[in-house]
Amino acid sequence: MKTAWIIMQKEIKENILTPKGVLWYMLTSTILSILSYLFLTNSELSLLDQGQMLYMIMNFISVLGVLIGIVFGTDALAGEIERGTIEALFLSPLKKNELITGKLGATIANWGIIFTISLPYLFVVGKGAQNLLVGVIYLAIIGMLLTIIFSAFSMGLSARIKSMKNSLIISFFMFLLSGSPIFLSAAMRKTWFGSIFDIINPFADAINTFDSVVIDSQGFNYQASRIAIICSYTLLSLWFLRRSVSKLEM
Amino acid sequence: MIISVENLVKKYDGYTVLDGLNFGVEEGDIFGFLGPNGAGKTTTIRILTCIIKPDSGKITINGYDIFKHPMEVKKIINALPESNGYYEWMTAREYLEFFAKLYGEEPSRQKIDGLLEAVGLHEKEGHIIRGYSRGMKQRLGIARALINNPKILFLDEPTNGLDPNGRRDIHDLLIDLNKKHGTTIFLSTHLLDDVERLCNRIAIINYGKIVWAGEAKKGAIEDIFFMATKEGKL
Repeated sequence: MKTAWIIMQKEIKENILTPKGVLWYMLTSTILSILSYLFLTNSELSLLDQGQMLYMIMNFISVLGVLIGIVFGTDALAGEIERGTIEALFLSPLKKNELITGKLGATIANWGIIFTISLPYLFVVGKGAQNLLVGVIYLAIIGMLLTIIFSAFSMGLSARIKSMKNSLIISFFMFLLSGSPIFLSAAMRKTWFGSIFDIINPFADAINTFDSVVIDSQGFNYQASRIAIICSYTLLSLWFLRRSVSKLEM
Repeated sequence: MIISVENLVKKYDGYTVLDGLNFGVEEGDIFGFLGPNGAGKTTTIRILTCIIKPDSGKITINGYDIFKHPMEVKKIINALPESNGYYEWMTAREYLEFFAKLYGEEPSRQKIDGLLEAVGLHEKEGHIIRGYSRGMKQRLGIARALINNPKILFLDEPTNGLDPNGRRDIHDLLIDLNKKHGTTIFLSTHLLDDVERLCNRIAIINYGKIVWAGEAKKGAIEDIFFMATKEGKL
């Protein structure tokens, strides 16, 4: 595991502590600033109650975390293959599991930074909301699980197709597909098709959980089945990543 | 034999790249592995360095079966691949320190200094790799390949694209390494000048088979190569 830690440190230096990384976080901060400003000053948006505002900004933070996680995930393997740097890694006595643990660790660290940047915005927008603290805790955990799901999937995919561009496109498409239930009308979501589509999608499960916790003030028992599905997807994506990387050849 | 290869077969999508390869390398050799483009040189090196697996065959390196003990083998070998990429945002020192850590070593300043000195990069150690010329990158790649003091060093076209001075520097470095440390060097190339200058034994591969193997006779390598790689072989 010491080697995984060395890889993680390298990834953090490469993706986070660089102008590219700083740009990602400045962008995150700018988007959240604009959003918060609109919530607090726009005549229509400011009519929303604090819970609704908190719920909406939590969704945005999750989306940002997942999108950046997908970019890091595809770059982690396909990027190294395209730049010709992975062969030197494979020459060293580094196990493939240690390699992906290190790289996945860096994407989780990235989520940690995005979440930390988001905290002031969450507390400003959600000030006075009944379930602010519990909502923030749910966001930290579910956001991390979503980041693992999508970055592990994109990393596994990039190991299989060895093209950063193609794995990025497919991963974004899968993410849109997983969030697509939110585009369905309320009536459509109540049909058998809509309900099943809603339940089996990890991102839809995440935002339904935020809704249930922050707006409807429902307890953990109401969330358990959705969280179990998100956890199942997490395990599935980790299995997919491990299997993809075990078959990775130059 | 420090490297022994028996009946090595590798196929990609039904196309046979290595077709029952057999050869051996003695300890302390500078072994030239020659062949035209697409003959299977890079695939052979990737198999010998445990990066890819063959379909069949047996390989032992320093007595280890490389398919049963890949981690043991990786500790005593290293390589400079043909298309070696670099973490261009690092400095040469950071790059070498990173790889030293992957070998479980806490990199000492003395060791990194020694490597940078050996490849002539000590004056540029603080510069980020993005600003390096191709020759400098190649020398850094060799320094990286020496980070674990390998018994066997695999080099895949190490002088490709270098100017005459750059090539001469690499030649001198390899000769020095072989003489001072007894490092066995497995040199894959199609540049016959390199072979003429460096190698004491050669094997020629064509269409995935060894078509000639023996001592590198100065002045005769070009003829041997052309004869061996002509259709119908020798």
